[in-house]
Amino acid sequence: MSTILTHIAIADGKIKRSSLEVLSHCKNLADQNGHSVEAVVVAENASNYVDGIKKYGASKIYVVENPIFKNHINTPILKALVKVMEMAKPEVFAFASTESTKDILGALAANQGAAVLSDVASFELIDGGIKGTRPVMAAKVLANAEAKGEKVLVSVRSGSYDLAESPTDAEVVSVDFNMDENELKATLREIISSTGDAVDLNEAEAIVAAGRGVKDEEGRKLISELADVLKAGIGASRALTESGVYDPSLQIGQTGKVVSPQLYIAVGISGAIQHVAGMANSKVIVAINKDADAPIFEVADYGIVGDLYKILPPFIEELKKIKN
Amino acid sequence: MKFYVCIKMVPDVNAPIQIKEGKLIQDADRMILNAYDASAVEEALVLSEKHGGEVEVVCIGPQKASETIRKALAMGADKATHLLTTGQEKYDSGTYARILANFFNNKEYDVLSLGKQSQDTDAGLTGSMIAELLHLPYATNAVGLEIEGEKLIVKRQGDFGQEMIELPTPCVVTCSNDMNEPRIPNLKGIMASKRKPLEQVELSSLGMNENQLIADTAVLSYSAKPERQAGQKFDGEADEIARQVAQLLDTEANVL
Ligand SMILES: Cc1cc2nc3c(=O)[nH]c(=O)nc-3n(C[C@H](O)[C@H](O)[C@H](O)COP(=O)(O)OP(=O)(O)OC[C@H]3O[C@@H](n4cnc5c(N)ncnc54)[C@H](O)[C@@H]3O)c2cc1C
Ligand SMILES: Nc1ncnc2c1ncn2[C@@H]1O[C@H](COP(=O)(O)O)[C@@H](O)[C@H]1O
Repeated sequence: MSTILTHIAIADGKIKRSSLEVLSHCKNLADQNGHSVEAVVVAENASNYVDGIKKYGASKIYVVENPIFKNHINTPILKALVKVMEMAKPEVFAFASTESTKDILGALAANQGAAVLSDVASFELIDGGIKGTRPVMAAKVLANAEAKGEKVLVSVRSGSYDLAESPTDAEVVSVDFNMDENELKATLREIISSTGDAVDLNEAEAIVAAGRGVKDEEGRKLISELADVLKAGIGASRALTESGVYDPSLQIGQTGKVVSPQLYIAVGISGAIQHVAGMANSKVIVAINKDADAPIFEVADYGIVGDLYKILPPFIEELKKIKN
Repeated sequence: MKFYVCIKMVPDVNAPIQIKEGKLIQDADRMILNAYDASAVEEALVLSEKHGGEVEVVCIGPQKASETIRKALAMGADKATHLLTTGQEKYDSGTYARILANFFNNKEYDVLSLGKQSQDTDAGLTGSMIAELLHLPYATNAVGLEIEGEKLIVKRQGDFGQEMIELPTPCVVTCSNDMNEPRIPNLKGIMASKRKPLEQVELSSLGMNENQLIADTAVLSYSAKPERQAGQKFDGEADEIARQVAQLLDTEANVL
């Protein structure tokens, strides 16, 4: 019997849904193949999350708790994960593909001599490793890839798997962790936290995304109103994050975030492949664009051809009526 | 400061792609400089123009990659090393990282700069792998760089907003294309690039053998992504179509 280890990411004092999706999938794989699934949480108040993790079937939970993990700094996180890997000896170590994961995955693989597949849309166990599908070429095609080795790391795109509760009475292992200031290598000077209490786009049920067509204050006001009515997160195309109109953390696409909400409304976005790469897995896509030939219409379930300044006011009004 | 920028030749994702029997068929001529690497080159040039220094680009790839290298030289990089392969190799981030780490092992530098990911594979692993192999401090997904004395100040895009990180040199950084708008080489730059030093190095001179470098991962086949069908398009009087779609989201799509 071998071990599948799952990394549990914490954001804003909560377990990130995407890591519970990965845990649910790993639990399923473990059950099918007679393996055990374990979890690791590295955080400032890591033990707070143990109950939440137990609901999803981990048989053992490694808890690495230290004030140093208040903010993301790669050196201590790596040190903690190396330590847990040496304790748990997992054949497979699975992560949700967050920005924090992307920051350390390669380094952890190099440290452990592990094979690694990043950002998969699905994965299964095979003899001596895993096989997985990865969207490549700006998500135009899927690569069917495999990774083989005594240890394999994998990171999974958010929204790839459904949550499946499967409560267990997990053994909790608290892991000793110390780190000298002078081991730190890098210094975190400050966090320019511009997203504030905004909706986490990876977990949002609905997203309203603004593109270059949203030209001014009036346009942004309409975007905010629409997002309010739908309780949606606000996203943006590169055109608007690049010009500083929206915060860079809101960029959706190849450089930005990959999202998969129930409803995605693209407003004044042309639909460049690099943008579509980040939103094509949304369940229902609405596009509002004045150019009837804009490529965004090729992926939209509902395409509204028109000037967003004329479309949005009645659209918002009608949605308000429905919502009441 | 001495910058090494790792640049990769990648297929242009805008070129038409076909999949035949699991193989990717593409126009072999439509190869470009990875967009994220172009941003890394640009930023190294800006910083060395401001603070003094040298920018050298390093590329692992077949003979054809020399065109990609020329592009970086035409942008303004001072010199280049081309680690030559046959083009038959099946390498992944791990193999490239091993070769690059081996190359940098006995070099002097302040900053190793890479793209945050390859535009074709979106792997995003090589940078932090090199940092670990060389035991260097690093930061990924940089959206801004500054030099302060002997330190590199990195603004990176993290999960919770942007982080300002101070790295002692030598260090490794991976760059996002959100960092800058890479310059387009002008005629003068293109002419100058032809006289700049471009050294070709065989992997064997690094004590490595192309056939013995085995990647831990392999792409077995490619398949088409299940295409989304274009749905209904509404064209007409704004007030009417806006309300109609709002209704359909409720009654048909059931997403409200
Ligand atoms: C390596 C790489 C990575 C990239 N990563 C990303 C990424 O992560 N995310 C991303 O978004 N882009 C990314 N891009 C950039 C991408 O290629 C496009 O340039 C970008 O998405 C364009 O943004 P846009 O659609 O808002 O602007 P445009 O392409 O300029 O489109 C604006 C649209 O608004 C419409 N419009 C204008 N006025 C109105 C109006 N009044 N009413 C209705 N419609 C109107 C126009 O018809 C047009 O279709 C990347 C590019 C590269 C090379
Ligand atoms: N063949 C190569 N030659 C030079 N640099 C490379 C090569 N492959 C990857 N890199 C560097 O690693 C970065 C991306 O890594 P990855 O996404 O893991 O492929 C690129 O942006 C380059 O800076």
